[in-house]
Amino acid sequence: MDKFADSTTDFSAPTMVEGIAQVVKIEGKTAWLVPEQGSSCGSCASAAACGSKGVGTTASRLDNRRFRIDNNANLAVGERVVFGIRDNVLLKASIAAYVIPLATLVLAGALAQWQFGSDLITMAAMVAGLVIGLGISRLEARRLYIRGDLAPLFLRRARPGETCNQ
Amino acid sequence: MKEYLLLMFSAALVNNVILGRFLGLCPAMGVTTRLDAAVGMGMATTFVMTVAALAGWTVNTFLLAPFELGYLRTITFILIIASTVQFTEMVVKKVSPSLFQLLGIYLPLITTNCAVLGITLLLVDAKMSILTSVLFAIGSAMGFSLVLVIFAGLRERLAVMDVPRLFAGPPIAFIVISLLALAFMGFSGMGVS
Repeated sequence: MDKFADSTTDFSAPTMVEGIAQVVKIEGKTAWLVPEQGSSCGSCASAAACGSKGVGTTASRLDNRRFRIDNNANLAVGERVVFGIRDNVLLKASIAAYVIPLATLVLAGALAQWQFGSDLITMAAMVAGLVIGLGISRLEARRLYIRGDLAPLFLRRARPGETCNQ
Repeated sequence: MKEYLLLMFSAALVNNVILGRFLGLCPAMGVTTRLDAAVGMGMATTFVMTVAALAGWTVNTFLLAPFELGYLRTITFILIIASTVQFTEMVVKKVSPSLFQLLGIYLPLITTNCAVLGITLLLVDAKMSILTSVLFAIGSAMGFSLVLVIFAGLRERLAVMDVPRLFAGPPIAFIVISLLALAFMGFSGMGVS
């Protein structure tokens, strides 16, 4: 039996989603980082032929995703660090960004269809619902940001050669 | 109401986009190594698929069908999906830069996801109303996300298992997804499609 995995592994334990980023700028007690990311698919065996890799790794795209963390560890420009976000943060962020606009879109469409029974009016109502939902999601995202739920945390300095898929 | 729920149930489970229609297999194998990536990808795909279904229905009904431009349907829908992805990316970035940092990486992958194009084309062929189209797209995307999350959970466990060397990596993943497909075949007799 000991050839197999440790059966005591607790898969329900709270985990942290980790990533690797490079320090690109230091401003006082704040460090600006750009994430290192091969591709979000984690580089499968077909990576060389995969169109997503080229799209997801352009310098401008990564530069757009730069973020800041508190520089309590005296980081220097060029250093690679491991940062983390709490596991449920991604779910909260996805709900704020996608589920709220979808819910308002469907609700507006269903109400319009029930009230008027016209596809044209339903379509217009869905577009209006989407816009309203995006407004609500903006407020929710701001609330999460103020609470600090979306902030990445510094975990440690990355080992030489360490990648986000290891 | 009941028929809408049955439609979504059918789209999600009976005719599952990955295990029933065999669309979107690239993300199913590619982004399921980690559960968080699967959740992010699933949510983003749900949003894009729904908005693309709405846009596709509108363009087809008011432009392609009246002017008999059906032969341009595929290329038009590819353009719609690419535009929807760009629009979503811009909106998420504008709405919240923090959310964009977390979720932005999944969006470009959807442009090349054949499940989105497949469902959008299927909706036009089925000649559904706009509400039915959108609900069908949401149901399909929820089924897609469900399979991604289940498969990612299984693969996270497989990663710590002592798999025989011959089966390690993609081979055991293919065996697992085959078993998952067999399990989903259990829904096919429900006849709600």
